[in-house]
Amino acid sequence: MAWYRQFDWLLIICWVLLFTAGLVAIYSATLGPVSQFLPDYIQKNFLNQVAWIGISIIALVAIQFTSPRTFQQISYALYIICIILAIATVIWGTEAGGAKRWLVIGGLRFQISEMLKLATILAVANYLTSRRDISTEHIGSALVAVVLMLIPSIIIILQNDTGTALILLAIIPVMLFWSGLPYGISLFLISPAIIAYFTVINWKLGVLATLVLSIAIFFIQKWPWLTSSAFIAGILVVIGVQVALYQVLKPHQQARIEAFVNPALDPQGAGWNVLQAKTAIGSGGLWGKGFLEGTQTQLRFLPEQWTDFIFPVIAEEFGFIGAGFLLLVFAVLLLRLLNIAGEHRHPFAQLVIVGVTMTFFAHLVINLGSAMGLFPVIGLPLPFVSYGGSAFLSYSIMLAICLNFDFYKREFSIYS
Amino acid sequence: MLHNKQEKRNDISIRVLQVTMITILLIITGRLIQLQIIEYETYGPLSLANSIRQESVSPARGIVYDRAGRMLVDNQPIYTITVTPANFDSKAIPLLSEYLDLDPKIIEERVQAARRYSWHRPTRLYSDISFHRFSQIQENIWKFPGIGYHVESKRHYPTDVNGSHIFGYLSEVTQQEYNSSRRYNLGDKAGRSGIEFVYEQDLRGELGSRYIRVNALGQSLGPFEDSQMGHSPVKGADIYTHIDYELQLLAEDLMKGKVGGVVALDPNSGAVLALVSSPDFDVDRLSGRIDMDYWLSLNADTTNPLFNRTISTMQPPGSTVKPLMGLMGLDFGIIDPNTVITCRGGFTLGRHYRCTRQHGRQNLVEAIQNSCNTYFFSLMNQTMKGVGLNAWHRHASSFGLGQLTGIDLPHERRGILPDSAYYNTHFGDSRFWGIGDLISVGVGQGTFSSSPMQMGLLAAQLANGGYRIRPHIVDRIVYPDGSYITQEYEKVRIPWVRDEHLKVVQEGMRKAVSEGSGRFYADIAGVEVAGKTGTAQNPHGIDHGWFISYAPYENPEIAIAVLVENAGFGSISAAPVAGLMMEQYFHGRILRNWVYNYVKTFTPRESDSNEEVL
Repeated sequence: MAWYRQFDWLLIICWVLLFTAGLVAIYSATLGPVSQFLPDYIQKNFLNQVAWIGISIIALVAIQFTSPRTFQQISYALYIICIILAIATVIWGTEAGGAKRWLVIGGLRFQISEMLKLATILAVANYLTSRRDISTEHIGSALVAVVLMLIPSIIIILQNDTGTALILLAIIPVMLFWSGLPYGISLFLISPAIIAYFTVINWKLGVLATLVLSIAIFFIQKWPWLTSSAFIAGILVVIGVQVALYQVLKPHQQARIEAFVNPALDPQGAGWNVLQAKTAIGSGGLWGKGFLEGTQTQLRFLPEQWTDFIFPVIAEEFGFIGAGFLLLVFAVLLLRLLNIAGEHRHPFAQLVIVGVTMTFFAHLVINLGSAMGLFPVIGLPLPFVSYGGSAFLSYSIMLAICLNFDFYKREFSIYS
Repeated sequence: MLHNKQEKRNDISIRVLQVTMITILLIITGRLIQLQIIEYETYGPLSLANSIRQESVSPARGIVYDRAGRMLVDNQPIYTITVTPANFDSKAIPLLSEYLDLDPKIIEERVQAARRYSWHRPTRLYSDISFHRFSQIQENIWKFPGIGYHVESKRHYPTDVNGSHIFGYLSEVTQQEYNSSRRYNLGDKAGRSGIEFVYEQDLRGELGSRYIRVNALGQSLGPFEDSQMGHSPVKGADIYTHIDYELQLLAEDLMKGKVGGVVALDPNSGAVLALVSSPDFDVDRLSGRIDMDYWLSLNADTTNPLFNRTISTMQPPGSTVKPLMGLMGLDFGIIDPNTVITCRGGFTLGRHYRCTRQHGRQNLVEAIQNSCNTYFFSLMNQTMKGVGLNAWHRHASSFGLGQLTGIDLPHERRGILPDSAYYNTHFGDSRFWGIGDLISVGVGQGTFSSSPMQMGLLAAQLANGGYRIRPHIVDRIVYPDGSYITQEYEKVRIPWVRDEHLKVVQEGMRKAVSEGSGRFYADIAGVEVAGKTGTAQNPHGIDHGWFISYAPYENPEIAIAVLVENAGFGSISAAPVAGLMMEQYFHGRILRNWVYNYVKTFTPRESDSNEEVL
């Protein structure tokens, strides 16, 4: 078989479609009529993004020529280096928008948290691969894996980047689940997120979700101790979220959650972003207002419209046709990645691909959910679409590693 | 076996993850359909409402023309910076103060004031900035969230005519006016004096509305074109005045540095050809942004430049009333044209009332020509005894003395034409009043007081054959649709005036100019001028000079009254002003430059008015 037949062109096409959509939206959001209200440095975003895409293509090709084993071999070292750099960022980092995310080395700005996601996925995958099957008897291994993921999460929270930390927390149950964690325990692990989501809307819904999930866990596993601890944990989450909402969270976070529950409460303040984003999406209609014709975008009603709120730009100017197509491309990309994982023989590759898929998926859901008012506003970029050079590069590297595993799946097998 | 179990488990895991992902993606797609398809009807209009704002548009104020159609007052664009407090970021204040060259504290105060008005509507922050500064801010507008701008208009005076007391000034409407009227936007200006005040309703026009696009920062991006909504403002009506540009310009020039008033009327219609009150103020400096220093200095000025002396001052008219005195004496039958009174230098009744010199035997024409006090003291004495004060008052009132002339200017005062009620009110409690208080009224002194406008009206009515007219500045008001209203007032014959009596008085006035005290400065070439000088005693300082006149003697076209305060004799202070204006009016230029130079360099002389009342 010719080498190019073994290459997964569908993923490459998805990748190209997504960054093209991103370039169109970034152009509209920064160089359209709106540019008269934007400072010069933001108007350079489009060309910057083009440059980063170029760099990413080089990285993609370079990774293609790397042996898949390399990633397994360097995983722990990379993890430790990234952790050290992340801690350095917390101490010496540059602040941007209230979050310490940037580490400036020799004039270059690095967003370590993006690389940290990949390093953590690699390290955890490597660890879980060495443990083989995680079942009830080997629950201790699962705990080590959780700790491996909690460490970077905490550091990222210290960087004030709650969104990225949430991504890491979302990956934990999925990777453990893939490694053979019993279904009931897996559901138990993700149940706090579901319960917390409903509690934010209304605490009674949170209690209801606790009950439903506990019963579901009981039917899946039929272990009374798991069911009862799921129920107790659920109730604790409801109480904890209530306390956090009114005691722990910072005022701006409280305001965001408040605005999510009731955006009309403060339409000029915290509710503004959600209201304007929803208005942009809704007013796009079926066909959209046309390229550079979106009033919400071009009249600067959308906040952060080249990064976190880039989806409303596409939805406004290209309507349901455009936004729906974008969703379809994402769906193809994600499901294709899952397929690749399923077809692969090597557990390390499987775990990495699943972790990467989950990372993209979590970004997609949180970004779109924020823009459409399904979640409180959590500032996360839309992978491959949002402006942001180091983020684009790190997502591309993640995708490139998946492509690499797929390409070498015969050579890189469990028996070799 | 183990391997198979692992594979089976992997398959299930893939299925679970796929199902979960597809479910969540379907939920998101459902939400997208909900927002974009189902709720499109909600969000479509919302995005329009977001970016489209209704804005009230102030109309262009009407233009003021002179009698020849020359533009005297029009509008000029001024650039105004506005602030929408809800979007404004206080951090921008230092930079803004740099661009506006304004103390940051002042900006802060104004933003505070704007907040009190409205958080979400643009309010004027700074008016009338230079085009240079305006364009600087316009270019960098993205640095100033909440800051906008618009172009407004201010009054502009394209000619050299100042006309401050004709046109008047404007100032911003107060909060109360804004609340009580739908005709103004906050920050609009309304006329406060002159015809700007009187014709405010016509000049103002009607507010329009338009729909504009704004961005999230509240900055206007120009009109919303796809829409037929909104309606244009209705431009204010244009006003055509009777003002004679050249005459007005000359009168202003001549009165510069003097205190007093000049009124020129068309005796046939009452049209005001020129009106100057001096000192005046610079109308230009009161348009646009209020020049606070200038405004305060005007209010502090002891000569009171804002005060319109032509209609509001109250000064004894002096000898200028003598023609009317004679006319009334003839009608009352107390004298006839041939009645002779001998002047031996004064009149004695209880005390001695002095004349300027011994005139000898005087008939009415000679008494007017020579301004003989003795004749009119005696006439006043006989009038009081014959018909009484109130009959005299009624007759004099019918010429407009002691009455409002009804001119289309605000703050007119009626002056004092005494009657018994007046004396009862003012003297009744303290002492009895009698003939002794009235003799000097007969020569325009004592309690008698009037304005230049009233004296101009007197001259005009003596000239036009005894018809009561109403002085008015505005000829017609032309509305934007082309319709117009002409300001015409009825000419009413004053019932008691008889032509043969009037002829005598007019002859006296002609001779006062051709042979009497007016001959030095008011007797001009080519036109027969009739008039009467006056010198009003001023107990507080130098006497006030008066001159009333009309020309041509036959078929009069113009009547002029001049008052120069603290200038001494009317014949040397007021008469030259009228004389030069007559030359300008009839010849289109000044014939006697030496008189012009004389008037321009005039310095008042002390006069002993007891000796000479000219």
